[in-house]
Amino acid sequence: MERLTPAFNVENLSFSYREALVLSDVQIEIAQGKLLFILGRNGSGKSTFLRLLAGLLPCRVGVIQVFGRDLKDIPMAKRAKMFGFLNQQHQAVFPFTVEDVVLTGRASYAGFSPKKADFEVVRETLEKMEIGYLRNRIYSELSGGEQQLVMLARVLAQQPRILLLDEPTSQLDFHHQSYLFSLLRTFANAGLTVVSVLHDPNLAFLFGDDFLFVKEGTIFRPPNGIEPWDAGFLNEIYPCEFQSVPFNDRAVVFPKITL
Amino acid sequence: MKTRNVITLIYVLALPIIVLSLFVGPTQSAGLGAWMDALWGRGTNTDLVFTVIYQIRLPRVLLTFLVGGALAVSGCSIQAVFRNPLTDPYILGLSSGAAFGAALALATAWLPVQLSAFVFGLTAVGMSFFMARKNNTVAIVSLILSGIIVSGIFTSLLAIVQYFSDPFRLQSIVHWTMGNLHLASATKLKMAVFPLLLGSATIFVYRWRMNLIALGDDEARSSGIHPGRDKAILLIAATLASSSAVAVAGIIGLYGLIVPHIVRMFSGPDNRQAVPLNFVFGGTFLLLIDDLSRSFAGLEIPIGVFTMLLGGPVFIYLMKKNNIGWND
Repeated sequence: MERLTPAFNVENLSFSYREALVLSDVQIEIAQGKLLFILGRNGSGKSTFLRLLAGLLPCRVGVIQVFGRDLKDIPMAKRAKMFGFLNQQHQAVFPFTVEDVVLTGRASYAGFSPKKADFEVVRETLEKMEIGYLRNRIYSELSGGEQQLVMLARVLAQQPRILLLDEPTSQLDFHHQSYLFSLLRTFANAGLTVVSVLHDPNLAFLFGDDFLFVKEGTIFRPPNGIEPWDAGFLNEIYPCEFQSVPFNDRAVVFPKITL
Repeated sequence: MKTRNVITLIYVLALPIIVLSLFVGPTQSAGLGAWMDALWGRGTNTDLVFTVIYQIRLPRVLLTFLVGGALAVSGCSIQAVFRNPLTDPYILGLSSGAAFGAALALATAWLPVQLSAFVFGLTAVGMSFFMARKNNTVAIVSLILSGIIVSGIFTSLLAIVQYFSDPFRLQSIVHWTMGNLHLASATKLKMAVFPLLLGSATIFVYRWRMNLIALGDDEARSSGIHPGRDKAILLIAATLASSSAVAVAGIIGLYGLIVPHIVRMFSGPDNRQAVPLNFVFGGTFLLLIDDLSRSFAGLEIPIGVFTMLLGGPVFIYLMKKNNIGWND
């Protein structure tokens, strides 16, 4: 079978905020149509990496290719059709309706004025995410979790081929977390590439196809023959002892508790 | 449904209010009746009635409407650009900058008044923005504070211009900075109509994009819009419109704050509806305020005095309602 162009190909990428080096010499390929999670400790550079992929931070050292094209050469409106980005958090200022907020995701298609088709996409997206009932509600009055779902709907209304998500579940309750991950799973099965930063390794292990780990400025996959849920391997990422519990030919992990 | 009716009413009433405003004024002999008589060739002072209505009142009415509309639309766009419901051309220091520019041009004739007002208006906006910016964000309170400082600087510079002006000019400068429309004339209308309309029309074109800009820079950029470019265009347009308003009508303080908030109560925050409604309501409302101030025969209170007295409490109310504190 012919090999698909990778969604992202990152070569020799380094990035620093002022003096502090955050990422150094990253080499990573991200395949199309997979549900990929980026795991690592707080402040390890996960979000920085995601923002670099999204073109929100300038890639000064190294190369980022999207579907084989240098990100730098792709105009902003074209990028929006290739990938959508969901921020970790969002602060609302004006009391826009949910429909108004989701409609802004259509900017790269609609230019200065949304057309009937754009409203249609918004309606379908909200229905698909089962939050159609929120359409006429005031966005700033929703709960944090509902706001996060609405912002994800905004990204989906953009109809990108890749989703870049920074902690999409940080505000979601237990039900919405599993709901969201099943949704991401169906998207990936349908050919969408999903790249998500995540704090909870177990959710990642339950749903994901591929896993990247970020530590001390480097990004890597587990070495050959070692599963990402291996307790010893995870101990190198997070400095605590784990125990691995087998589950559905994979495993979930718990911190070792000594009482 | 009810707000729908209010919106329709605002659009429908604009034209009748413009027309009826032509018959308001201290000259009692040029009312609606006198004008009708003159049209039918009756009455004694036909020429006088026509002169008062067409050459004195018509330019003033049109100018007032345009100034009101332009200030409201500018305020609306500035609030979206800064993601800050508590700002307008006055709070940003833009009005003071433009007033200084216009006064300087009046006193020295170094540049045309409109252009000088625009240049210094833009300078003031830039100063407020860069003073308030920290880590690429502009906090609500920082922007208000830097606006106060910028406003103070240009008010002081304006005082210096006044100090060196001769007494005759001084009086007219003082009168005009208080926000005054009684010097409106066909010449002033011609001078200001183009920048007022160009600025407002640009904002009208960008009205939907303002929704996206108001969501935040990351959101705009990841939806394929350059936030920096759109914001610069919107700020230049708002500065063009409001500095021309200042150049012809002086400082009509807080008007660009009050009107967008009143309009949002009817249209909601969606700028697709809010921008045109701001223009029409802003124009009509200022015209009504001006009609009121013209009805006090003999004694004309500067319009800026009215808007400040109205705007002060509105600002305090908004500050309390939005829970704006030091940590925002």
